[in-house]
Parts: sequence; structure tokens; C-alpha cells
Amino acid sequence: MAKTAKEWIKTPPFPTSHFVDSRIYTDETLFKEEQEKIFNKSWIIACHESELPGAYDYRTFSHPGGAPLIIVKGEDLKIRTFYNICPHRGNTLLYDPVGNAKRITCIFHAWMFDTKGNCVEISRSKQGYQDRYTCENASLREVRTEIGYGGFVWVNVDDNACTLKEYIGDSMSMLEEQLSMPLEVFHYHKAIVDTNYKLWHDTNSEFYHDYMHYFNRATGMMQPGYFDRKYTGYPNGHASVGSMEIKYDAYQGSKARSVGWPGLAPGGWVLIDIFPGMTFNLRTSVLRMDTAIPLGPNKLIIEFRGLGLKSDTPEQRAERIRDHNFIWGPFGRNLHEDLLGVYGQGKAMREGTDSKWVIHGREENSTIHDEVGMRHFYAEWSKKMNRPAFNPLGDNKLTQAA
Amino acid sequence: MREQVAELIYKSFLTLDDLDFAGYINLCHADFNYKIGAYSPEIRKQMTWLEESRDSMKLLFESLPKHNSDHSRLSRLGNVYLMNKESNGDWSALTFLQVFRTSLDGGASELFAIGKIKDTIREADGGLKLLNRDIQLETRMFGFGHHIPF
Repeated sequence: MAKTAKEWIKTPPFPTSHFVDSRIYTDETLFKEEQEKIFNKSWIIACHESELPGAYDYRTFSHPGGAPLIIVKGEDLKIRTFYNICPHRGNTLLYDPVGNAKRITCIFHAWMFDTKGNCVEISRSKQGYQDRYTCENASLREVRTEIGYGGFVWVNVDDNACTLKEYIGDSMSMLEEQLSMPLEVFHYHKAIVDTNYKLWHDTNSEFYHDYMHYFNRATGMMQPGYFDRKYTGYPNGHASVGSMEIKYDAYQGSKARSVGWPGLAPGGWVLIDIFPGMTFNLRTSVLRMDTAIPLGPNKLIIEFRGLGLKSDTPEQRAERIRDHNFIWGPFGRNLHEDLLGVYGQGKAMREGTDSKWVIHGREENSTIHDEVGMRHFYAEWSKKMNRPAFNPLGDNKLTQAA
Repeated sequence: MREQVAELIYKSFLTLDDLDFAGYINLCHADFNYKIGAYSPEIRKQMTWLEESRDSMKLLFESLPKHNSDHSRLSRLGNVYLMNKESNGDWSALTFLQVFRTSLDGGASELFAIGKIKDTIREADGGLKLLNRDIQLETRMFGFGHHIPF
């Protein structure tokens, strides 16, 4: 029987760890707080080292906490990160997403900076500032940067944050060997979707939604070993999902993957979610990396990267590219479905729709259709926000024992 | 003959617009090759997003009903800029492509993608057929995307 208005808002019959209030996906105040308490305290992937092959190469990055960043390789080949903000009049320093700049020069008044963040020239400095303000005062704001876990460039805008190694802990152990050799990005694209970043990360944190993917049903769910894959939670909200042998040729038009990945069993698939919005997805021959960059509570940029081995022959690389794009490219079988799913959630949950609860209640001994991955995420979210995800604004009256 | 070459290109757009996949495949040569991609300035690399033969394109179309897809209509607008008869008798053409997406709910249209198409067209079976289609997109962001290529 369909529900009445009263029944619709009734607390789901689960422990409070097994559902969330959908306002965590839509509330503007909560989003601002997430930027401050989560994104500005977490290690975030800004790009991959292969995107900065030579000295003075740079990439720009919109940090999900809000700060625009420049990631630049110095003459000493060290990668550093700075705010992409001129300390003079607040102008954007580097406009293009990529380039090479021995000197970072602001187009407005030609103030110049080196790749270590030092100001090296203030135009007509003496005439205007005399000795009251010099290059010493005008350095760029540096952001902590570490390279690791497959050569990704991680940044943390909190000067007092723990190290990247402490942040990741043991969560990447399933891919330690597989990410130990130099990698190279061969695919990059972005999607902007009207949805919340957590909904995208949720999609990457549960496999129950394989019902949405015909490709995954045919090549995974119908195959032996699928229901044995297990979730493992780690401190700081990270989680991993164990492997199985995917039967790629069970989908018409697809074929068994001929190129594998060192250290990964044939047909293997390992997925690791890093809090708050990054996913390492190693599927037999290619590594996909998602980075979720929220623009607001219901607007999200997702950066998609595809990576192979730097040592690939042209034939191996071509095979990896084909494998990647067959399911994950902009016209791939799976990606469109995943994006459509979170777009639909964003549409149904936008403010004022009377969406109330989102349920994470499946318990299957932490195996593939268990929703423990999301529960693990929201436990960490609640801790960091100091707000329970089931009652984030403190105004929910639990209508039944939960 | 130039008019027939242009007409074949336009027919390829119309068949896809109408979801007449069999009609589209019928315009393709037995050795048809299809490629769509874009250059990413962010990673300084050319990306190939789909590479299909006539048979694999047919399979792609046939698999669509099994997938969850956005059902907005796509409309392809092409302008054939250049056309040339090659020394081997094939025709080459460069077409500027615009793709519009029209929502089912309300019917709002928006520009979805732009790019250029390089076609090679060959005479076969008493008519003209698409031998190669290479689409180089400028657009690299598609929102929640689409399953049907251009």
C-alpha cells in the first residue's frame, strides 16, 4: 500500500547508521561547512605527475574547498602547489589549465613569481612602495603537496594536516604492487552534473547498482565469484572492494582483455574509495581515477582520468584505451548510466521535493551488495561534521525506535 | 556527384537523428571504420573515445535497448565545408558538425557538441558508401552524456 504524508517521513526501520537525511545532499549551510571541515582538511588529488612532464610545466586545479590552485614543477623538478591568486589585487595568475611558465606573471600589473612561490619582481616597486613593501612581502601562498599512490599529486590546504601516508593508512594496500610502477594519464574529461558529490561517491561505494548496468550484470553479476567480493573499511572513511574475474566476453561486442596489469589476476577488478570523493578503479587493464569537485550542494564536477603504464608499447596503450572507453569513455556503456543515476537522484532530492530519507540498510556480511561502504563513509562524515547524517540539523523527531 | 556525396553525409545525420540505425549501417561500406575523439589540452593528448567497424557499430546499436539511456533527441546539423575527389576515385569531405539535444520534457533545445568530421566515401554496390568517418570534437563536456555517438 502506498504511503501517506505521515508515513513517508516516518523513520526507516533500521539503526540510525543505516539511513541519512536527504538534506545532507541539498542544504547550502551544510555544504559550506563540508568545504571547511572536510575538503579543507583532507588530502585531495589535484592531478597526476605525468601531466607535468618537464620543468616549469603547470596545471591549474579548482580545489573542492574553494581555492583555485596552480600545481607547478620547478627547475629542481619538485612539484609544488600555490594559490592561483595574485597577492597584489587578487587576480588569477594562470588562466590556462595547462602550460609552461618559468616565471608566473600576473597579466594585470606584471608582478612576477618563480616556481618556488617567491616574488621576483614588482613593477616599479621602489617608486610606488619605497621600502614599505617588497618582494619579501609578496610571496605566493603555498599548499602542502605530496606525490604518491600511483604518482598522483595530492594537495592539502591545511598546513597542520597529518601526512598523506597517515591519511591513507592501509587503505591502498590492495593496490600497493599494482601502483608501484610509473603510470601515465591517457584520458581526461570532466562532467558537470546537477547532483551532490556524496551521491557520486556513494555510487562508487556500492555495487548493488550493478542492476543499472547491463554490462556489469552480464560480465560480473552472472559470473562465479561476484558475490564473494568484500568491502573493507579503513580509518578516515576510506574503503576497498576485493577482486573477482570479470568475463568481458559475456557481453556481445566485448572481448576478453588481452592486456593485463602487473600484479593483478587476469580479469581482476579492485576498487578503492578515498574519503571524501576520490576513487581508484583498476579494472583488468586500465586504472580509472575519479575526483569529485563539488561546486555547490547540487552541482558537481567530476574529473575522470584513465591511466596505463608509462612503459606501454603503442599496441598495449591502444588496447587499454579501447578497454577504458568501451565502458568508461564519454560514449561508454557504463559511465552514462552512472551519471544518469546521480543526475536522477539530484533531481529527485533537490530542495523542496519532500525527499526525506536515503537508505543504506543492506547487510550481506560485507559482500558486494552490502551497503557497508556507504555506512562507513557516513560514519566518518558525521564525525568530521560533528552532525549525525541521519539528523544533520537536529530537528528530526525519530518516529519509531531506530 | 558532389551533390550525392553531400547527400550521403546528410543522410547519415538524418538516420541517426531518427534512431534508424539499420538505415545508418546501410550507408556504411563493408570496410567502414568509425572514430570519435578529441584533443585534451589538459593532458596534452589526443583521445580516441570510440573506434568501431561496421559490425561493431551495429552491435553497439543493437545493445542500446538493454541499457539505461537518456532518451532526449539529438539533432545533427552539418555543413560540408570541403570536398575532394582523390586519385583512387574515393571522395573526401570535411564537415562542420553541431549536435543539439532536445529534452523530452518541455522540448528545450541546447547545443550539445561541436566538431569536425572527416569522411572518406567510396563507390560500391552501384552507390556511395561511407568508408571512413573520423569525428574530431571540440566539445569535451557532455553533462550526464549520451549513449548514441554522432
